[in-house]
Amino acid sequence: MKKVSLESLTPFDRKFFTGKEKFTYLGQGSIGGKAQGLADIKDILADLNSRNSSDIQINIPTLTVIATDFFDLFLKNNNLDDIALSGMRDDQIAHAFQRGELPTQLVGDLHALISQVHSPLAIRSSSMLEDAMFEPFASVYTTKMIPNNQFDPDIRFRKLVEAVKYVYASTFFKGAKDYIDATKHTIADEKMAVIIQEVVGSRHNDRFYPQISGVARSYNFYPTGPAKPEEGVVDLALGLGKTIVDEGIGWSFSPAYPQVNPPYNSLGDLLKRSQTEFWAIHMGEPLSYNPIKETEYMQKYSLTEAENDGNLRFIASTYIPGDDKIKIGIGDKGPRVLDFAPILKLKEIPLEKVLKKLLEVCEKRLESMVEIEFAVTLDPDHGIPARFGFLQVRPMVVSQERVDISLEELSADNVVVASESVLGNGAISTIQDIVYIKPEKFEAIKTTIIAKELEKINHQLVQAKHPYVLIGFGRWGSSDPSGGIPLKFGQISGARIIVEATLPNMSFMLSQGSHFFHNITSFQVCYFSVAHWDKYNINWDWLNQQKVINETQYIRHIRPPAPLRIKVDGRKGRGVISHE
Amino acid sequence: MSKEFFNAFKMAQNQFDHIADMLDLDKATREFLMYPMREQQFTIPIRLDDGNVRMFRGFRVVHNDARGPAKGGIRFHPLETIDTIRALAMWMTWKCAVVDIPLGGAYGGVTCDPHDLSMREQEQVSRGWVRQLAKYLGPLVDVPAPDIMTSAQHMLWMLDEYEAIRGEKYPGFITGKPIGMGGSQGRKEAVGFGLIFTVRQTLKELGMRPEDTTASIQGFGNVGQHAAELLQQIGGTVISASCWDQKDQVSYCYKKESGIDFEELSGITDRFGGIDKDKASELGYEVLPGESWLEQEVDILIPAAVENQITAANVKKISKKVKIIAEGANGPTTPEADKIIADRNIFMIPDLLANAGGATCSYFEQVQSNMNYYWERDEVLGKLDVKITNAFESVLELAKKKKLCMRDATYYIAVVRVAQACRDRGWV
Repeated sequence: MKKVSLESLTPFDRKFFTGKEKFTYLGQGSIGGKAQGLADIKDILADLNSRNSSDIQINIPTLTVIATDFFDLFLKNNNLDDIALSGMRDDQIAHAFQRGELPTQLVGDLHALISQVHSPLAIRSSSMLEDAMFEPFASVYTTKMIPNNQFDPDIRFRKLVEAVKYVYASTFFKGAKDYIDATKHTIADEKMAVIIQEVVGSRHNDRFYPQISGVARSYNFYPTGPAKPEEGVVDLALGLGKTIVDEGIGWSFSPAYPQVNPPYNSLGDLLKRSQTEFWAIHMGEPLSYNPIKETEYMQKYSLTEAENDGNLRFIASTYIPGDDKIKIGIGDKGPRVLDFAPILKLKEIPLEKVLKKLLEVCEKRLESMVEIEFAVTLDPDHGIPARFGFLQVRPMVVSQERVDISLEELSADNVVVASESVLGNGAISTIQDIVYIKPEKFEAIKTTIIAKELEKINHQLVQAKHPYVLIGFGRWGSSDPSGGIPLKFGQISGARIIVEATLPNMSFMLSQGSHFFHNITSFQVCYFSVAHWDKYNINWDWLNQQKVINETQYIRHIRPPAPLRIKVDGRKGRGVISHE
Repeated sequence: MSKEFFNAFKMAQNQFDHIADMLDLDKATREFLMYPMREQQFTIPIRLDDGNVRMFRGFRVVHNDARGPAKGGIRFHPLETIDTIRALAMWMTWKCAVVDIPLGGAYGGVTCDPHDLSMREQEQVSRGWVRQLAKYLGPLVDVPAPDIMTSAQHMLWMLDEYEAIRGEKYPGFITGKPIGMGGSQGRKEAVGFGLIFTVRQTLKELGMRPEDTTASIQGFGNVGQHAAELLQQIGGTVISASCWDQKDQVSYCYKKESGIDFEELSGITDRFGGIDKDKASELGYEVLPGESWLEQEVDILIPAAVENQITAANVKKISKKVKIIAEGANGPTTPEADKIIADRNIFMIPDLLANAGGATCSYFEQVQSNMNYYWERDEVLGKLDVKITNAFESVLELAKKKKLCMRDATYYIAVVRVAQACRDRGWV
């Protein structure tokens, strides 16, 4: 695929919304992987939009990219190289970057931009290595949303500058460094471009959010019912995409069979697993001033608030307790279920058609399976015309190796972990290290401490170039510390096999890899989900008998005498880890 | 052209007359704007360190304050005359108007040579100047600022004297103060950076890439140094800079074909912008006669010293390669030279626009001082860039629309705005 060059893009002319070109850049150098992906696809989207019906307008929300030369200048002018590459804590690095000044050549353009724009902006990372490696660094760097609705342009400018500096600082956060270490690159090679982008959504009282955000993938590791892996999978949620990307919550369906519900045991189970809260940009008085917090201007709201905003009409159904059934729409009283049935089942908006077409054209353009992120706003009365904001496109790396695992293998005596809910594909026989959270010590209220302990051990193993199997409880990467281990992928970047499990006294809802989905696929990490009630399980006794290399309060690092044998059959979603 | 034949005020009046004709300005407005509204000339007696008492001539001229409190610098210069000050005050009026800041125009000065005065003596001159004028100055009346051979220290002495007389704190009385004492971040860089913002826009207009351009600068004081700094940051190469040598009493031009090293050269420059000739030679700079700055084979010329430097006598020495002249100094080009430059199709960024960064940032400092709340440097420079770029684009648009040269378009906008303010107030 030939990438779009910087020369063929338009420099920012100080007209953000009013300019003819909606995709512009500032400076020289690279625009980073995220922006490059959008640049590569923008003409195709424009063409698609012109041929599409007017029911759904597809476009890339207006953006300008600060190219990487300004990142270099920022580091140089403020002598930040040493701090950036030091072992300082993330918050110390973030504070040091906040004290720096953006280059003089840049601030005029930013001031001009902010003087005209009064609506929320997303300040997104777009890393150069992401582009160079043709690999996504999802959830490694930071995106900051700012409400940008203050009356005084100086305040808006300051908030924008703080957000840009925070994204720059996130290049050097520990998780990012460890993530890079797990690749063939070093952090010194990394440069950061920053995308300043319009947020798709609408304002309701003090919140700003899209009615629908979503992630669509052209390959599905977990096809259910009649769906096939290559037909892809889509996750939808209400509000900002953080719900799907960071929390792994959303309504999952195959674009080929949008009417089919995701698998569930009972209606109660479905209700429990569906989205009950949503993220929005908080447009009121800031909750607290903290320029080095990603969610400084973000807040969670309940479905009741979305209903009061008039935003559930096209995306919710209602549970009727008396009949123990779900009725499409919100005409009746009862708990709301975000199943997007008016769109997916009643076809009030042709969303799945658009998604199928987009996956097809993006696959063709990127010559790879793809993952796209999007946000949709609907006409409040009729649903259409709707606006489909295309936020991101990334290539997916999918292993095609054929691995067969028999049922006997899953229950053999030498099995350490076995599961019939595994992401990934392939066979590995070079991993010898295992890092696991001690089940007898695990407490849901200690997950933040556990995350810190893991980060340290991960750092050591990455430095020593020892890939490892990681076993823990709850959802990896959960933003809710009581629902799993709250960390970013970079903090466990050396793990080649990740196991998420439940305990009899702590019945977590497992993420099945959704938090780190893209990291997992691009790094070809295998992801095992093992519930304690499953047929196959974890051999804790064997683990506890192995030689201990390192032990903390909550974590044990062991190294058995011989490498493990790991097999994952991606077609069947079956996996097994065995010892000699 | 020697000083005795050059009258800056005459030149400023001619420029105004030309625009007034173009606008068909009514007689009263024309007469009102042709002369200053108010002038003060006075004597400052100073007891020197050797015990003798010496008299210094001081000036303050307010040309027009219809758009807001008057604003303008104070220069300490041995050749200072009331006519130069009148011209500078008039240019300040236009300058504030063209960048659309709510201020009028003034200027002041003292005929003296700070090179020959101790710091104590300079302090006495500064305080004496304020004592003579205290009742005509103030944050809402007339706000002085530094200029040639006056610095943040002089401003602080003047502020201190004013506050002592008034018995209250008035941080907005004067601008160009030291940072931490009411000064604004970015003020020092403002003129030079503002100048390069206009050069950057011109390069865009001419379809040139900064990376492909070279420049020669006259004057390596505050303006020249920061212009060189930012021009290099955006990719340009400054190959020569000239300055006055106090010891030899002549000017020299320091040249390096591969590009001067801004940090290296500013490290051997005194506080008046004088480069150490011997050290420059040791660092491999070619030392040429001062006027050769004008003759360099470059794309951009930046006169950033004093007025009356590009004249009918030397304009022909400008290389054919030159595409842009950006006037960092006030009035560096005489009208005769201006015409030849226009005929040669060189893009002229007139002083009112090119060096308006100083006035604009002074205004920012005044606003901050009056609030006693100070902005970050990037905020100041961001606002500065927007103000200057907007002003440049407005002038360029008018120049194209009415087929004017940039200087005429600049004056046109400024005079229209000031005349309108005078009419709105019912003065004319």
